[in-house]
Parts: sequence; C-alpha cells; structure tokens
Amino acid sequence: MFSLLHPGKNRVLAFTGLLISSALLTTGCASTDKRDPASPTSAQGNPKVDPYEGFNRSMYGFNMGLDKYLLKPVATGYQYITPDFMETGVSNFFTNLKGINVVLNDVLQGKFGQSAEDTGRFLTNTTLGVAGLFDVASSFGMQNNVEDFGQTLAVWGVDQGAYLVLPILGPTTIRDGGGSILDRAANPGTYVPGTGILEGINDRANADGALNFIDEAALDPYVFTRESFLQYRTNLINDGKTDTSGYDLDLDSALDETQPANAGGQKSGKTESGSPKATNGITDSNATAPTATSSTSQAFNDMSKSFDRAEQEFEQASEKMDRYASRKRRRR
Amino acid sequence: MSRKLYFGISFLLMLLSSTATFAEESAKQVVEEFQNQLIDVMKQGKSLGFQGRYDKLDAPVKKTHDLPKIARIVVGKQWEELTPEQQTKLEDVFTKLSVSSYAHNFKDYSGESFTFLSEEETGRGGVVIHTNLLIPGEKDVKFDYMMKKKDDGWQIINIIADGVSDLALKRSDYTSVLSREGFDALIIKITEKIDSYAKQ
Repeated sequence: MFSLLHPGKNRVLAFTGLLISSALLTTGCASTDKRDPASPTSAQGNPKVDPYEGFNRSMYGFNMGLDKYLLKPVATGYQYITPDFMETGVSNFFTNLKGINVVLNDVLQGKFGQSAEDTGRFLTNTTLGVAGLFDVASSFGMQNNVEDFGQTLAVWGVDQGAYLVLPILGPTTIRDGGGSILDRAANPGTYVPGTGILEGINDRANADGALNFIDEAALDPYVFTRESFLQYRTNLINDGKTDTSGYDLDLDSALDETQPANAGGQKSGKTESGSPKATNGITDSNATAPTATSSTSQAFNDMSKSFDRAEQEFEQASEKMDRYASRKRRRR
Repeated sequence: MSRKLYFGISFLLMLLSSTATFAEESAKQVVEEFQNQLIDVMKQGKSLGFQGRYDKLDAPVKKTHDLPKIARIVVGKQWEELTPEQQTKLEDVFTKLSVSSYAHNFKDYSGESFTFLSEEETGRGGVVIHTNLLIPGEKDVKFDYMMKKKDDGWQIINIIADGVSDLALKRSDYTSVLSREGFDALIIKITEKIDSYAKQ
C-alpha cells in the first residue's frame, strides 16, 4: 500500500512546500489591509469579515440556482439509484482518503497523540476496512477527527481573512481557500481523474440534511449560511473546546447594544456615529481603506470593478438558468 | 398566648420560605427536566402529530427559555427603534416560532438520549450546562446551554450546538432582514417559517 503511494507522495510533498509559501503570501497580502486586533469570529454585519458581501451574495444566488437545477437532481438521482450500503461505502472511502491529510495536519499542529490515533484509524480502515469502504475503526471506538490545512493555518496564527463564496465550491474564507488548495494536493484522490465528480456528488448527497435545515430555518439564507460556516470552522479550529468567557462576551455585547439605547436620548446620534452601515459590500471595501496609499486603493478599485463584472455575469447566468427552467416547465 | 401564636406562625413562615428556596431548581435540573420532556415528546412524536407536539412543548419551552429576552437580543440595537406594539408582536411571533421549531425538529425517536457532561460558571453569574445528545450510529452532538438567573429561577438564554451559537446565528439572520427589508418583512418571514413547520 505504501509503496504504491510513495512516488505520488513525494510529488505531493514537493508540491505542498511550494503551495504553503504561495498560500501564506496570498493570505498575508489579503489580511494586511484588514488586520484588526479584535477580529471577531462572527460577521455580525461587520464589513471586515464580509467586505465582498455584494459579490458573495450573487455568487451564493448562482450556486443555489446551480444546486436547484443541476446538483440537487443529480445527488437525489444518485441516492435513488445507489443502494444505501454503497452510498455509505463511497462516503467512507472519500473520508478515509482524507486520513493522510488529517494525520499530516495533526503533526503540523503539534497534536502528536491525536496523530498516532488518526494513523491507527487510517491504517485500520485501509486494511480491515477494504481500502476504506468500511468504517471499522469507528466501531472499534476510534473517532473520526476533522483536520485540514485551513485549521493548521489558523493554529499558526494566519488571519481568517475575508469571507468568500466561490462558484460551485461554495463558502470559504481567504485562509480556508488557501488551505483547501493544500488539502487537495495532499489527497491521493486528486491524482485519479474522475474521482472528483463522484466525490462532489457524494458530498452534495451528504449535505442534503444541512441544506434542507437552512432552507427551513433561515430568514436570510445567505447570512445564515455565512454565520454557521464561520462558527463551525472556529469550532473545528478550537477542537470543540468552547471557552465560556466567549459566551458571556458575546451575550454582553448583545445586551450592551440594547442597553445604552435603553437610556434613550442620544439614540439617533449613536447610530450615526456607529460603524458605517454597508448597503453594498463592494463600495464599503473601498471605504474601509482610506488610509492606504493611492496605489493600493487603485488596486482595490480595480479588484472591486472586476468583482463587479464577475458579479453581473454570474447574476445573468442565474437568470438564464431560471428562464431556461421556466421555459422547460411551460413546454411540458 | 397570642404572642406565642405569633412567634409560632412567623417561625412556620420562615421554615416555609427556606424550604421554598431549597425547592428552587438548579440550572442543571432545569435543563435536564426540559431534555426529558423533549425525549418524551419524541417518543410519542408520530402519534401526536405536529399540533400535538406543539401543545405538549408550549408550556415547557416558555417556562425554561427566557424568550422575551432572546427576542430582543436577536434584533440587536434595532429593538429600541421598534414601537411598543411592534415589540409585542415580535415577542409573540418569536415565541410561536421557537415552540414550532422544537415541535418540528424533535418529531420522532430513534434511541436518542441526552447526557450531562459538566457545569461551568461564567463571569457574570451565568452558568453553562454542557450536555451531549447521543444518537445511535452517529456522532454525538454537543449541546451547551447558557443559563441566566431570573426572579423565578434559571432560564435558558442560548443554546450552542456543536459550537454553533443559536443566538448569534439568529441575531445575524434577523438583523440582516430588519436592516435590508424592514420590520414588516421580518414578521412575514417568521410567520412563513411557522406555517411551513406546521405543514410538515
């Protein structure tokens, strides 16, 4: 098994080294403008967490359209034609492939005990579990840990960076996006053509419950998705260890928001002097960088403009999908 | 004689009041009682139907959650900009939504159980009760209950499921709708959610 992996692994490692530096570069660049000592984990209408909200929202709309008309039907079809045990097998297989990645990131984060456990888990499922099709390790009581390069970068102190919604790939942050390139490089499945599609369909099928939940519970699905994604990632980075001081701060800030206004009087003045409410994420990203030199703000402008263009194109694509779907329905 | 009686009565009263404080539930008991009620409803979930589950959960949810406080936290600073009628309306639909979502999400039983993990005091007199929801064949889900003490005992103010804070999530969601579309749209959207929960 290992001799089989070896040539690939060398290539992976060389590739990884190259990418780490480039990822750090991009994340570094992106975070310099927005460095905030008290950077909150929750976006909470904070333009610093989601400066490209306008772009992200239209990308979210595009993804949801794509999901509705293409991904969801495909995933449902896959669930329909695939026997349950095979579906679980496929899921287990792809989860197991990520095992190498998990061990690698355990080590990079200095969790040596956990890395030994995860190595045991990976070896058990690869051998006894027939190349990972059966998750025998879980029935032995070895739990599945989720570790990836995005979390490692966080542990190393890289800022979260802006929240981004990528076409097809969905929600991420600048830090996680950099990390996911490395995740892909360290996953053997990447080097076998065609597996990506099956993995994508499988991932979509597994996400069905979560997506339905968002559909049911969210008033603003975009914000709901963003908040739950960011909180979920923070929880993974902290390995589920929630510190209670965070709860109180969170709650107190919520209470403080209502209490000073409670006293009445300077209410209107307060809202005006408060952080400028962003009506549009993109114009706001310009507004937040007035201290930058003219060349960087120029660069920002250009970037916003190209974001704007992309946004329009994706919006048109969403509209086209809707029109096409409604035409098809009428024909029936 | 009458003085003796007076002392006797006041002694009795003192005794009563002290037992009353002893009888007051701890934060842990409040959570555990509520979780037992949830599991109970889940077990009879199918036969009860949505309305049956709603009716059974209505009183326990209102008793154990500080819903008026939660309702004002989720709209953030915009609470003060609402008229008193709007505030009452929001509290009202928010309460209905909370009970509905419990009735919708805890609808059937497949061996789930809650276990108590630990209790933790937070800075400002709050308590966090850490529990696990065990689902057979699936990963445990962590449920952390943030409790605050009110006059009539401990009440849930926030639930954090696997690190995702319900209060923070709702606050972003609700403030976003409020600032983008206004109060009426918020109420319409909440009512739609209640209706769609009831339909399923």
